[in-house]
Amino acid sequence: MKADISALMDGELEAGELEAALAALREDGEALAAWRMYHLIGDALQGRRMLALGCVARVSARLAGEPTLIGTLPADIVAPQRPRWFVPSALAASVAAVALVGWMALAPRSAEQLEVAVGGHTPIAVPAPKPVVRQPLTAATRDYIFAHQAYSPRNSLQGVAPYVRSVSAEAVPGKP
Amino acid sequence: MSRTACALVLVATAGWAQAQALAPSQTTAEAVDWLRRIHQATETLSYSGTFVYQQANRSETSRITRRAGADGGVEKLEVLDGTPRKILRTRDEVRCYLPESRTVKVDRRREPRAFPALLPEQVGSLGEYYDITLGGTRRIAGYDCQAIVLTPRDDLRYGYTFWADVKTGMLLRAQTFNRGGEMVEQFTFAQLEIGNVPRRRLRPPREARDWHVEQAGVSPADLAGSGWRFGAELPGFRKIVEVRRVLRDAHPVEQVVFSDGIAAVSIFIEPFAGRAERAPVGLAGMGAVNVYTREVADHLVTVVGEAPAASVQRIGNTVEYRPQ
Repeated sequence: MKADISALMDGELEAGELEAALAALREDGEALAAWRMYHLIGDALQGRRMLALGCVARVSARLAGEPTLIGTLPADIVAPQRPRWFVPSALAASVAAVALVGWMALAPRSAEQLEVAVGGHTPIAVPAPKPVVRQPLTAATRDYIFAHQAYSPRNSLQGVAPYVRSVSAEAVPGKP
Repeated sequence: MSRTACALVLVATAGWAQAQALAPSQTTAEAVDWLRRIHQATETLSYSGTFVYQQANRSETSRITRRAGADGGVEKLEVLDGTPRKILRTRDEVRCYLPESRTVKVDRRREPRAFPALLPEQVGSLGEYYDITLGGTRRIAGYDCQAIVLTPRDDLRYGYTFWADVKTGMLLRAQTFNRGGEMVEQFTFAQLEIGNVPRRRLRPPREARDWHVEQAGVSPADLAGSGWRFGAELPGFRKIVEVRRVLRDAHPVEQVVFSDGIAAVSIFIEPFAGRAERAPVGLAGMGAVNVYTREVADHLVTVVGEAPAASVQRIGNTVEYRPQ
């Protein structure tokens, strides 16, 4: 079935096979998982920032709230288009890069744009939460992290490893 | 075929997601025992390996060497990317070697239990704030590993997945997740050898012999006695220690630490007097660590914690100065 899903993505299925593959996507969890995984691979290979991983649920939720469009789509949208990146040779050549792709795809998310509400312990009294953007650490903050790390229970599970945070090169130069 | 192979590799990489999906929702005694095993392995094993620290799509490689001993053992961490910073840790002393400033920062304790940490008897109480369950299994750096999943019961803390070697209990990978399920930080061994480590590999760096030494000069403190109040503590975060120390040779700082058993948050309080410039008030961070700074009664309050930004801020915002 996975071969069929792959062919489906390439627009290579005949009418009868197409029906079967679509039915499989509806009913077979494994086929659907393969479909999502292939799209994730494709996105990662193309370096798209919005990886397909987990976006199905978000898109479905958005769609549920959208009005239904009634009418016909222009022909150029409906016509099957073979994605340029997904030619077999390109894919074969990329197999070696897959481990790296997986690494990138599943690497920790940047939290630099993390937004949190200011308002302390009385959030109810705050009319509109003011977003605060998390800044990168300055090098001088390392002193505090070094002093803090000694008391982190994580040391009991990981030994000295968590101390890497206090000597990381990622902190930007600056005053505390 | 190649596509299937691709998919398999990615599925394997997505092991943490599987580990979480497979985990039942109730704390199990078996999973709690695994945490004890990891703790014990950390205390008793000698090992040497290369590990990668990842946060915000960046990664940094370090070498870790540990030699077990009756005196509590010696551990060394050497950053392999960029400036070769090093950390040497024994039971009651941590030395941080910074080549760019030719400085050695020394953090030393005199209390008998030098560095309060997660104790085996405390592991059980973690279950009040986290569901501790077993996840899947997978191979990491050549070791068959078991996942132990800590799912927080509220928004105040992060979630964790710890991957430990089935044979020895050695922790091979530690991942931290935010409440949206996104990984914010990961420690993972790329290569590891468990077994005897020669003593010479844990010697202090020879080049640091004439470097400047900064002593933290840690001593007990009583912040409540000097007028500081921390308001209502966040559920589960209990005060574990209060000390006075010196930062960068000249700045006396008071530090109080709260912990829920796995995450810790420190509040640092220092007078503005003697500081050349005022610090920017706000939020900074790296990986799972958030740093929140604010001014209270002509003092700089710096809150550092391995907890979500909102928790670190909440703890920081409870700080008050009410001298009697």
